[in-house]
Amino acid sequence: MQAEVTPAPKPKADQSAAISRQRAKGYNLHAGDKYYAFAFLGPSLLVLGTFVFYPMLRTLYLSLFLTDNVGRPTVFVGLKNYIGLLTSSAYQASLQATAIYVIAVVALTLILGLLLAQLAAKKLAGIQWFRTIFSATMGVSVSVAAIFWLFIFSPSIGLFDQIGSFLHLPIVAWLTQPGPAMTAVVISTVWMNLGFTFLILFGALQMVPQSLYEVSAIEGASESYQFFHVTIPMISPTLFFTSTVTLIGAFKSFGLIDLMTAGGPNNATNLLVYRVYQDAFLSGNYGLASAESVILAVIIALFTLLQFKFLEKRVTY
Amino acid sequence: MKKQTVSHKVFAIVAGVLVVLAVVLGWTAFSHPSASAQSNGRIKVVFWHEMTGPAQQQLIKFSNEFNRSQKKYEVVPEFEGSYNEAVQKVINTHGTDASPAVFQSMDISTSQMHHTGYTTPVQKFIDADNYDVNKISAGARAFYANQGTQLSMPFNTSQPVLFYNATLLKKLGVTPPPVNPSYSDITRVATQVMQKSNKKVQGMSVEIYGWLFEEFMANSGTSFANNDDGHTSTPTASNLTGTSTVNTMKWLQTNVKDGVFANYGASGNALNNEIASFLSGRLAMFLQSSATTTQLTTGNKNKLGITYYPHPDGQKSNGVAIGGASLWISNDKSATVQRGSWDFIKFLMTAKSQAEWQAATGYLALNKDSQKQPALLNMYKKLPEAKVPGEQLAAAQPNNTNSGIFMQGLIQARNLTQTAMEQIYARSNIQKALQTAQTSLNGNIKNNNRANGY
Repeated sequence: MQAEVTPAPKPKADQSAAISRQRAKGYNLHAGDKYYAFAFLGPSLLVLGTFVFYPMLRTLYLSLFLTDNVGRPTVFVGLKNYIGLLTSSAYQASLQATAIYVIAVVALTLILGLLLAQLAAKKLAGIQWFRTIFSATMGVSVSVAAIFWLFIFSPSIGLFDQIGSFLHLPIVAWLTQPGPAMTAVVISTVWMNLGFTFLILFGALQMVPQSLYEVSAIEGASESYQFFHVTIPMISPTLFFTSTVTLIGAFKSFGLIDLMTAGGPNNATNLLVYRVYQDAFLSGNYGLASAESVILAVIIALFTLLQFKFLEKRVTY
Repeated sequence: MKKQTVSHKVFAIVAGVLVVLAVVLGWTAFSHPSASAQSNGRIKVVFWHEMTGPAQQQLIKFSNEFNRSQKKYEVVPEFEGSYNEAVQKVINTHGTDASPAVFQSMDISTSQMHHTGYTTPVQKFIDADNYDVNKISAGARAFYANQGTQLSMPFNTSQPVLFYNATLLKKLGVTPPPVNPSYSDITRVATQVMQKSNKKVQGMSVEIYGWLFEEFMANSGTSFANNDDGHTSTPTASNLTGTSTVNTMKWLQTNVKDGVFANYGASGNALNNEIASFLSGRLAMFLQSSATTTQLTTGNKNKLGITYYPHPDGQKSNGVAIGGASLWISNDKSATVQRGSWDFIKFLMTAKSQAEWQAATGYLALNKDSQKQPALLNMYKKLPEAKVPGEQLAAAQPNNTNSGIFMQGLIQARNLTQTAMEQIYARSNIQKALQTAQTSLNGNIKNNNRANGY
């Protein structure tokens, strides 16, 4: 390939124009540079190709087939796996459950995380201790959290029901009724998420210059006005980051669901990702599971795109 | 300029060679050395199992005993996680160095395992050795046989039974259920427990579990799938809406609605919660696998009662199918390794091993001679009720409705029947819930048969 020769640097006045022109054209490569490029990119391309791109394409391919008892694609069915899924009431229930779960988890995690961060940002005696406690769930593994929450929600010997029966409140069958089961799973997930969200938001709050509050206080702004018009805009990049991460995390929730409800009762907590696991690794139905993965990937991509399109406009960097 | 290009090329080549070298070195470092098939002159027989707790300890003990008893083979037991996961692992590793020589696979994977074509039926070795298979329980064998061929050897075998807290019933003045109870016997006991304890004690629990659903059908002599539950040929449709199934569900729904039966939900947590309630005296009776017996007797001061699985009123019990898992021999290993696997299976099936197995785990001793072994006699002396599951197994005449369902895709089927049970417990229309499950299941069966070319 013909090497392009970079023109000699222009005088200073013209430099920014030169840079932008260079950006527009892309960086100029020397003839040998592309060997360097491949030498450096090679290993990661190899890894990405093997572990990301190939599996992605393979999943897409498998989703168009019925698979036999050892997982080989045998009968081409076109889009029938997708059509079958989208028209089945069980899958629609999963879609609905996932929507409820994701919205509840993201909203509660952000609101509670921000609340805790606001509280911990106050300069009070012993606040250090609370800061540690609030971020403590980061160090708790999913299995430990599941055992802990199962004990709380357990029927007949659970903490909630013990308290309930002591206070003569009606007993709630937390994990064996659809509504309460979803509530239980959401509570547990939010609790798990809080530590990380708290820490990130708390960090962001510390970065807001104190002078802004002082100035707005002089202008007579109330605390709630300060919160909405100083704090929120100032930490908006961090809020955006946490909301995106929590959203994607919520779509991928697996451990707590598996350990607490296994998708039940009556598929009320059978989220999309759990369904993929069931169909692929328990039933060995790889064609169907691949179709489910593709749908899930499209949904996550769509939501993330929407988030970037609408939320990012309100972010002030 | 030209010189520079050459040096670039050299650099790129060197870098490329380094990358390839790193990959190759990494590969060899992580792959098993091929010499591992033999260790200290013995032929290695890798044994995959899914047992935890006391059962795992006992399996390790058996492997060590077997290895000491001969010099040719060395059995290496490896734990592979849950039953469901193990099935996929066996399938995905077949034909590689990582695959097992002999493995344990759960009851409902039988048809699938056989149809993969990855296994050697144990019948081949039974015939070669003239092994007296009649001393192994007929009910257990029937589950893992097809058209007269023994596909795998039944191993850890349980029976679904009814457990009751005998001490608690006595204290409340409730007559315990008979040894082979009908549905109404259970309703009677559960209702009395509720009344006499002022609703402090739950009468009964039937876990939302596809296995129990299948057992209700088996015990009433109803086929789950056509073609005699798959024992005559591949099933093409399911039968979940029969009268006896509807009646069983009606019995469960009415009692749950009246608060006589408690709903502990589905999945592993349900079992744990049932056991916790039972041991703390808040639950009088529940249906479970006989394999939980050990858990229910350890540290329990109350006397444990065990009866047969309940049967519908107005008919004799047909007998229930077994649960548990069997041992399979992979056909991707050499004839010598397969022979070693079979020798190990034979070792596990001796009267002595089987007696020790039941004493240690609660799974049933399948060798008929085991009943005279000291390990079992000691156990019966301490807990005479422990005989009941074995008696239930021996009492049932194996037929096409109580020898398991020889069909693929049973894990999905269980998800569907469990969902139906959940809906029924939540007061949905029984006929509709069962019909929904049946329609989905028939769709799955059709797709499955198509994909496998049946």
